Amino acid sequence: MAAVIDIQDVSKSFRRKVHALRGVSMQVDQGQIFCLLGPNGAGKSTLVKILMTVIRPSVLSGSMLGKPIGHKPTLRRIGYLPEHHRFPSFMTAGQALHYYGGLTGMRRPARRRRVEEMLELVGMTSWRNHKVGTFSKGMQQRIGLAQALLHDPELLLLDEPTDGVDPVGRREIRDLLLQLRNEGRTILINSHILAELESICDQLAVLVKGRVAMEGTVDALTEGGVNWSVSYRDASLEWGDSKIEQLEDRIVVTLPGDSLHQVQSTIDRIRDAGGSILAVSQNRESLEDLFMRALKQAGTEDAASPGAVRGRKK
Amino acid sequence: MTSLLAILKESWLSLRAERLFRVVMGLNILVIVAYASMGFTDTGFTLFYGLFEEESEYINTHSPLAKTLYLGIYSAFIVNIWLAWAASILALISTSSIFPKFLSEGSVELVLSRPIRRTTVFAIKYVSGLIFVMLQVTVFTVGAFFAAGWRIDVWDPAIFLAIPLLTLFYSYLFCVNVFVGVLTRSTLVALLATLLFWFGTFGIRTADDQIQRFWLMSETTADESTQRLFELTAEIEQASLEDQTKVVRELRAERRETETDLANADEAIERLNPWKSAIGFLRMGLPETARTLGLLHRELERGSNNTLMDLMSGRAFEEDSDYPQNEFQKRRMDAEEKSYERELSIPGWKIIGKSLIFEFVILACAIWIFRRRDY
Ligand SMILES: Nc1ncnc2c1ncn2[C@@H]1O[C@H](COP(=O)(O)OP(=O)(O)OP(=O)(O)O)[C@@H](O)[C@H]1O
Ligand SMILES: [Mg+2]
Repeated sequence: MAAVIDIQDVSKSFRRKVHALRGVSMQVDQGQIFCLLGPNGAGKSTLVKILMTVIRPSVLSGSMLGKPIGHKPTLRRIGYLPEHHRFPSFMTAGQALHYYGGLTGMRRPARRRRVEEMLELVGMTSWRNHKVGTFSKGMQQRIGLAQALLHDPELLLLDEPTDGVDPVGRREIRDLLLQLRNEGRTILINSHILAELESICDQLAVLVKGRVAMEGTVDALTEGGVNWSVSYRDASLEWGDSKIEQLEDRIVVTLPGDSLHQVQSTIDRIRDAGGSILAVSQNRESLEDLFMRALKQAGTEDAASPGAVRGRKK
Repeated sequence: MTSLLAILKESWLSLRAERLFRVVMGLNILVIVAYASMGFTDTGFTLFYGLFEEESEYINTHSPLAKTLYLGIYSAFIVNIWLAWAASILALISTSSIFPKFLSEGSVELVLSRPIRRTTVFAIKYVSGLIFVMLQVTVFTVGAFFAAGWRIDVWDPAIFLAIPLLTLFYSYLFCVNVFVGVLTRSTLVALLATLLFWFGTFGIRTADDQIQRFWLMSETTADESTQRLFELTAEIEQASLEDQTKVVRELRAERRETETDLANADEAIERLNPWKSAIGFLRMGLPETARTLGLLHRELERGSNNTLMDLMSGRAFEEDSDYPQNEFQKRRMDAEEKSYERELSIPGWKIIGKSLIFEFVILACAIWIFRRRDY
C-alpha cells in the first residue's frame, strides 16, 4: 500500500512562542480512513492546515499524493473541510458551490452537473437558491461537505465533519465516508466524537502537545486490549489479581487476555461455588480507552490539559 | 483562468450585496441629472431644466464662456468635490471590508487551500476593488459626456479621462486601505487609517503649496528689490553729479525703504527654507492625489483661453487686467500665477509615476504580509 500522506518531522511554532507541532511524522495509507485524535490544542487542525498550505510550517519534509507538500496544483486532487468554516453569506448554496468549484479550476459544465449531484448527496437540493448566511450550523456543515467533495478528490481532509450535524445526518455522513473509502479514496478525519469514529476508523494517530503519542492501525493497536468479562451472582469467590466490579445485583470479573480456556475454567469455578452465570462477553479496547492510554503513554503530566507547549525555548 | 473568474464573480456578488454600492450608484445618477439640468439660451442660461431663466450678456449660447463654465463645473465641482471627496469616501466605506471579509477566519481557509497562488488571489481581489470604482465613474462619465454634448454641443472625449484618472486617484488610497486591511483584518481600522492617511496627504500638500507660494512671493520681492537697488544707486550717482539735492534726498529715502524690503524678504526666505525642504521631502514620498486629478483639468481646459479660475476671480471679464491696485495683492497674484504655471509644467507621467511607485511599494508590503501569514 502506498502512503498517500507521508510526512516526517513537521514542526510549527507560532511567533516562536507557541509550539503547536513538535516533530510530527506519520503515514496515511491509500484507501484508509485515518483518524487524527488528540486533546484540544494538540495541533490537529494546524497539521491539516499545513498540508493545505494555509499555514506555513517551520520545519517540514514529506509528500502528499506523491508531490512535495506545498505543491499548489496537487491541491486540486484534495478535498478540504476546514473547522469553523464560513461561506460568503451573500451567496446562495448553489453560488457558493459554483464559486469553490471554480476556485479549484472546474469548468462550468462539469460544475453544473456536480453541484446538483452534491446538493442531492447532502440533502440540500431544495435550498439551492437560499442564502448560505441564513443556514443553520448543520446545514452549513452539509454545504461544507458538498464543497469538499465537489471536484471528486482522491484525498479528503475533514476537520470535525460532523460538528453541529443532527444524529440522522451523522449517520449519513458515516455511511458516506465508508462508501467513499470503498471507492478507493483516502480520508483523514479530525474529530473528538470517538464513539462515532469507532466503526469506521482503520488507522489512527493520537497527537498530544504537538507530538505523535500513538500511531498504527486500529486492529494492531487494540490487539493486546482484548479481554473477557463474566457476570455472576449468588457466590462469593476470591479472584486474586483479576479486576472485579461489584454491582447492585451482580459481580463482574474481568479476565485479562484473550484466552478461551481461562474463561471456561472461570465459569466452572463459579458454578462449583453454587453461583449463577448472568453473562459472558468479549471486550475490545474502545477508541476511548486507546485515547486514554495514549495520553498516559505521552508521559508528560499535563498531557490532557488543553493548548500547545509554550515558551521561547525550542 | 476559471479560478480568476470565480474570484471576480465572488467580488461582484459581494459588492452587489452591499447596500452602499447601490446607494452610491443612485447618487451618481442624481448628480448627473442635476448637472444636465443647466442649459444655455441665446440671451442667457436656464436652471432646473428651464424652470428658472437668467439673462446674461457673458454666459449664453454664443459666448465661449458658457463652454468654459459648463466644463469647469464638471472638472472643478463634480469631479473635484463630488467624485474626489464625497463619492470616494462612500466608495472607501464599501471597499474597506473587501479584504477583512475575505480574510476572516473560516472563509480564508476555503480559498487558500485551492490550487491558486496567494499573489494571484491578492491581485484579483485588489483589482476587483478598483473595478468597483471604475464602474461607478464610468456610469458617471458617460452621463456627463452626453450632458455636455446636449447642453453646449461639446463632444469632448477628454471627459472620459476621468475614468482612468479617478481610478488611479482611488488606487492611491485603496492600496493603503488594503495594506492596513491585510495587516489588521479589521474593516474599521482599515477605513480609519485610510481616511487619516488621506487627510494627512491633503494637509501636507496644502502646507507645501502655501509655503511654496510665500516663498515665491518673497523671492520675487527679493529679486525686484535687488534690481531696484542697482537702479537706485545709478540714479543717485547721476543726480548728485547734476547737483539735484532734492531728488537725491528722495532717492536715498527710497533706497532705504528698498533695503528694508530686501532684508525682510531675505529673512522670510531664510525662515521658510527649513520648512520648505522638510515638507517637500515628506511630500516626495506621498502619492499626488490632487495633481493626478489636476491632469483632467489640464485636458479639459486645453484650447480654451479662460479657466474656471479666471471666471470666478472675474479676470475673464476684465478688458485689461490692471485691477489689483495694491502692491501686495499684485505680488500675491504674481506668485499664484507663477505657482500655477509651475504646476502646469510638471509632466503628467512624473505625477502618475511617482504616485504609482508609492502604490507599488505599499502593495508589495501588503503582498509580502499576505503571503507569509498563517491563517
Ligand atoms: N494562527 C495561529 N496563531 C497562533 N497560534 C495558533 C494559531 N493557530 C493555532 N494556534 C495554536 O496552536 C495550538 C494548536 O492549535 P490547533 O487548532 O491545531 O489545535 P487542535 O488540535 O485542532 O484543537 P481542537 O481540538 O480544539 O480543534 C493551540 O495552542 C493554538 O493556540
Ligand atoms: Mg482543531
